[in-house]
This record gives sequence, C-alpha cells and structure tokens, in this order.
Amino acid sequence: MIGAALTLAGKDLRLELRRREVVLGMAQFVIVTLVIAHFALVAVGDRQLPKAAAGVLWIAVLFTALLALGRAFAADHEDGALDAVLIAPIDRGAIWLGKVLAQLTFLAAMEVVAVPAFWLFFFQTSGPDIRALLAALVLANVGIASVGVLVSALAQAGRARDVLLPVLLLPLLVPLVLAAVVATLGSFPGGDGSVRALGFLALFDTLFVLLAWGTYEHLSGD
Amino acid sequence: MTEAPTVALRGCSKRFGERIALRRVTLTVHRGETLALLGPNGSGKSTLLRLVAGLSWPTAGDVEIDGVAATRLARASRGALGYLGHQTQAWRGLTARENLTVMADLHRLDAPVVAAALATVGLADRGEDRIDGFSRGMRQRLAIARTLLHDPTLLLADEPTTGLDTDGLAMLDDVLERRRGDATVLLATHDEAFAARHADRVVRLAGGEIVA
Repeated sequence: MIGAALTLAGKDLRLELRRREVVLGMAQFVIVTLVIAHFALVAVGDRQLPKAAAGVLWIAVLFTALLALGRAFAADHEDGALDAVLIAPIDRGAIWLGKVLAQLTFLAAMEVVAVPAFWLFFFQTSGPDIRALLAALVLANVGIASVGVLVSALAQAGRARDVLLPVLLLPLLVPLVLAAVVATLGSFPGGDGSVRALGFLALFDTLFVLLAWGTYEHLSGD
Repeated sequence: MTEAPTVALRGCSKRFGERIALRRVTLTVHRGETLALLGPNGSGKSTLLRLVAGLSWPTAGDVEIDGVAATRLARASRGALGYLGHQTQAWRGLTARENLTVMADLHRLDAPVVAAALATVGLADRGEDRIDGFSRGMRQRLAIARTLLHDPTLLLADEPTTGLDTDGLAMLDDVLERRRGDATVLLATHDEAFAARHADRVVRLAGGEIVA
C-alpha cells in the first residue's frame, strides 16, 4: 500500500519536474493574489489589518490549491494510464494516497513562496506566531489534499469537470478554511490562542482522510 | 489466479445515458481459449472488454472471471489480468523505461523484467527516450510491453494491431502464439485476417448485440 503510493507519487513529482505545469502556476497565482490584496487593503487600519490579512492568506491558499487539484488526474487521463493503474494488484486506496502525497508536495512548494510574501506584504514588524501558522498550514494542507483528490476523482467522471471540482469542493472545505483563519487570528499577539482551532483541523483531517480512503475504491470505474 | 481463467458474461447490458452500448450479451470464454470479437466501430467491443477488465460496471447482468464478479476481483486476481486498451495507457513526459518501471513496481516485479519487456517489443535501444517523441506504432509497442510485463493469464486486447508496422505485427503475432493455450485471450479487432490467425473462435458484434 505505502510502496505503491510512493511509486505513484514519485511518478507525479517526476512529471511535474519535467513539465512544470502546476507549481509555477500556483506560485504565480498566490503572489499575484497577495499583491492585489496588499494594495486593496492599504486603507484598512492597523487594528483591522491582521484580520483581513489572515482571510486573504487562506483565500489565496484555497484557490491556488484548486489549480493543482484540477490537474491532479490530467496526466493519468491523457492516454488512459489510469486504467493500467486501476487493474494493477494494489489497494486502490494507494492511488488516492499517492495523489495526496503529490498534492501535499505541491502545496508545500507553493507555501514556501506564499508565507514569506504574506509577511512581506502585511507584517513588517509583528505578525502571527509562526509556529501556529505553520501548524495550521500543515493541517489544512492535509485536509485540502485528501478531500480535494477525492472530489477531483469524482469530478473527472462528469462532463463539466472543470466546473464540478470547485462547486463540489469549496463547500466541503469551508469549515476547514474557517478553522484555519481562526487559528491564524488567534496566533497574533493578544489573540485568543490557536489550540482549539488547530484541534478542529486535526479532527477534520482524521474524519476526511478515513472517509476519502474508504470511498475512493468505489469511485474508480465507469 | 495462476492458471488461465474462464470468463463469463450473462445477460450483460451497458448503457451510457440514452445510448445502449451493449445489449443482453451472454458469452463464455473458456480456459486457455483465444476468442476474437469482430465488429464495426460502435458495436460494443471495447465496452465488453472494459467490463471484463472490471473498469466498467454492467448496467444489467453479470461479468465473472472464474466465478467472481469482474469489479470485485481480489488484488492477486487483478494481477493476472493484462489489458491493452485502445489508448496506450502510458504517461507522456516519462521515458519508456520509466513508464514500465512504474507498472513493474505496482506489480512487484524486478528491474530485469522491464529490460526484457523492452527487448521483446523492439524498444531496447529507445528505453531512455521520453515517449512524447514516439510514433503511434512505438507507443503501441510500449503498450504491448506494459500489458505483458507481468505475464498475464487473462489477456484483453482492444485493436492490438493499431499503428504497428510489419515488424510490429510480426512481433505481436509471435507474442500471441507463444501464449496460446496458456492464457485466456479476448481480442477485439476489425482485422479479419488477424482474427483468423489467432482466434480459436470468432464472435461478431453489431449494435451492441452478438449477431454470429
């Protein structure tokens, strides 16, 4: 199971290194979003800026993740390679797990660019507690990737796959993003703390990882 | 499933929306038999093979491999299945060797199997090339190598001659002849001569139904 998932994730990462179709686009999108928000929020006072900035970061992360999730199965459908994987003697959950591992790598690569830019544009001095923010990013990434890959697989079956993915995925991720925003806000100096929100993110991840793993088997096939 | 399996379709239908691709097909492919499905485009050959591969669920009826529903085969039984679809089922951007290595890893096969498979289909000297630059015939050779990598005992081949030149056809003839009797084979083809060379029995499909 783990070996097959690592094989498939390695294949996706190798394809991305050669084709550069996903991560560069994600980095560009997230930076442009943060730049626009930076100028749009000039008029917001210093007291309100942290709240607005926390929201901007998570909106940027969420919509940037959609770029990668929309292409999660593109290479596998291009020449029907997914069929060969589906009939291989592996737990089909390994296909889902392999995609999740690849998506986590893409998200992490994007955030390596996004987080310093977030700091640069919004907080030259005191920002949120970096440990809490990183914890929120890691937990949110797991939730976004695990649910996103499942929904992406589901959307592939429909004719309007490009529309289906955001329509199905965004409502599912609203609780996760709200918790991530609350965790970020709580980590600012004088905030309420992030522990409860991070706990909610961990609970969300546990539930949806188990649900997605158990469900993927039944989504494969036409 | 180490010995060649029996494939049985009973009253099998498949509908895609309003379109009926297969109508109440009942068919048995015996252990070690090579059966050719002949028929025009849209007659249901590819749909039938996808049902047997477990990649598609029948709208009505049953598809069984050695008595087990094709969509519920155990992992080990799926490992005995080789499916050569009408797409080449490879990843562009990877080399021929990398494509086969991914599949070999999923089948838990050793690296020498990949080299042997490339040699069998005449791609030994192109293994390190990305398949983006391959012709359709070379991609078909790679697809044949991928299908045979794990020495399947149930072989499903959808228009296997697509894109192959004379040497490629000879290679495919040789590969199928060597498996004759040891594997249960379903071939979907337009090519009457190819079917006559390899099939123990021919079934003709038209409009999703068996007509002969």
